[in-house]
Amino acid sequence: MYIEELSLVNYRNYDRLTIHFDHKVNVILGENAQGKTNLMEAIYVLGFTKSHRTPRDKELIQWDAEYGKIKGRVFKKNRSLPLEVIFSSKGKKAKFNHIEQKRLSDYIGSLNIVMFAPEDLNLVKGSPQERRRFIDMEIGQIEPVYIYHLNQYQKILKQRNALLKDLQRRRTKDTTMLQIYTEQLAEHGAAILFRRFRFLKKLREWAVPIHLQISRDQENLKIDYLSKVDVSESMDMEKMRDTYLTEFNRKEESEIERGTTLIGPHRDDLVFTVNDRNVQHFGSQGQQRTTALSLKLAEIELIYQEVGDYPVLLLDDVLSELDDYRQSHLLNAIQGKVQTFVTTTNIDGIAHETIREAEIFTIHEGKLVENNGLDR
Amino acid sequence: MYYPEPISKLVDSFTKLPGIGPKTAVRLAFFVLSMEEDDVLEFGKALVNAKRELTHCSNCGHITDKDPCNICTDPNRDNTLICVVQDPKDVIAMEKMKDFQGRYHVLNGAISPMDGIGPEDINVTSLIERLKDEEVEELILATNPTVEGEATAMYISRLVRPSGIRTTRIAHGLPVGGDLEYADEVTLSKALEGRRDL
Ligand SMILES: Nc1ncnc2c1ncn2[C@@H]1O[C@H](COP(=O)(O)OP(=O)(O)OP(=O)(O)O)[C@@H](O)[C@H]1O
Ligand SMILES: [Mg+2]
Ligand SMILES: [Zn+2]
Repeated sequence: MYIEELSLVNYRNYDRLTIHFDHKVNVILGENAQGKTNLMEAIYVLGFTKSHRTPRDKELIQWDAEYGKIKGRVFKKNRSLPLEVIFSSKGKKAKFNHIEQKRLSDYIGSLNIVMFAPEDLNLVKGSPQERRRFIDMEIGQIEPVYIYHLNQYQKILKQRNALLKDLQRRRTKDTTMLQIYTEQLAEHGAAILFRRFRFLKKLREWAVPIHLQISRDQENLKIDYLSKVDVSESMDMEKMRDTYLTEFNRKEESEIERGTTLIGPHRDDLVFTVNDRNVQHFGSQGQQRTTALSLKLAEIELIYQEVGDYPVLLLDDVLSELDDYRQSHLLNAIQGKVQTFVTTTNIDGIAHETIREAEIFTIHEGKLVENNGLDR
Repeated sequence: MYYPEPISKLVDSFTKLPGIGPKTAVRLAFFVLSMEEDDVLEFGKALVNAKRELTHCSNCGHITDKDPCNICTDPNRDNTLICVVQDPKDVIAMEKMKDFQGRYHVLNGAISPMDGIGPEDINVTSLIERLKDEEVEELILATNPTVEGEATAMYISRLVRPSGIRTTRIAHGLPVGGDLEYADEVTLSKALEGRRDL
């Protein structure tokens, strides 16, 4: 799939902008603080209805404006489809083919996106939260029902933690409500866990050979799921739920004592191993970067496998962070098949032939000032 | 901005209403100034009377101007069926559909530890009392399809279980409201299932 056209109204530092994109490589060129990341963010928001930078939708609306709007045309499965996301003080609306979608799960997946930014190089080294976010976003866009379970899980978790605090401080003694929340949490927790295992299994099938290739047959990548609960890939959803229930029962006293939920998918993590060594603790910076790159490339292939179409790739400031070898591996892998957006302050930093064929858009103070490439 | 004090007070009062922000409140306040004095007096009286003359029905918890309420005293309704809802608004919505012929019980809230609302803070005790006295056979739990509503329904069904009275959960169907909701096929299939035993 690829984005044919994007228009912005009152979005960040853009008043009004309409751009027609090339379906291969688009370079967004501009000095610092001119709106390159804002443009990438707009594409991301068109896919996810949420920014990768902020949880507060209000920040996306241009200062002093009443509303902000992102419109796009996506070409997929031989059709051109309009998408639209509007933000105002009343909240947000998302339209697919001109029809407002009330349920997020009906909208997500209209435009599949893989973003690769400098922060992602930290995926291996960063906090468990970042790794959970990574799998959650990816599963969510392949399988929107996952988002529903995550959302319910978060809400139940908050209630359960509040109740555990009450029990800890002896404001209440009744544990009936605790049992109810425990059952609900186990139900959604199992639905989340099951899908995470299934996703990881497929991700591995792509990431391991890709990593081996980038490392010139030197590095054997392993990806494991780390949970405090004794669960495994071979379990079905019901077995996972029962395992959670047993474990919650066992931990009830210590949960009340601590006033918080001690187990569940919100506490799990991923572990990456290269040649039997934990990359997070013992990997060189190069190995960590190769791992991050392998994961992103695997994601692209996995989306193709699951959705039947390649996602759109956003590379914000990341090419300059990769050495020439990894840079060309990335660009070779996507060449000709994945619509790609690259931001840079200086085109000379990218020494790859694809860039020479790319369409270049120069951005200055939230305006498109130059568009040199193949004119249409 | 400095408004004369009476206007400031009026603006402040309007902002206490749901969905009214400062800008709208100012607009409404100035509109009140332009209204006929009689209309303003009528409006003020209506506000005060609504509050003073309405109470909660001591039997079912619905809002009413006489206690017990019209629904509780209606001899033509089915005593074996009670529909449990969160809010008086839900009773009014159900009554508009005219399909339901049983009685109601209004909880006036849902259990939410996050907001400091426990089972003792909603109208459950009187429900249990009613079940002892009335010849109820089925409780339809029509609390909202939110995490809070769902948990409240489960709580009540557990409380009632020893009595052997049947409890069912009504399907609310799709969430309404302007904002993007995180619901999905699951909600939809729940809606299709209709009432299910809890
Ligand atoms: N809601 C908003 N309304 C108006 N302008 C905004 C808004 N949010 C951010 N900006 C402006 O957008 C600019 C930042 O744009 P952006 O982050 O896209 O820069 P960039 O081109 O990616 O720069 P860099 O090369 O440093 O990454 C800043 O000047 C900021 O003040
Ligand atoms: Mg930037
Ligand atoms: Zn009544």
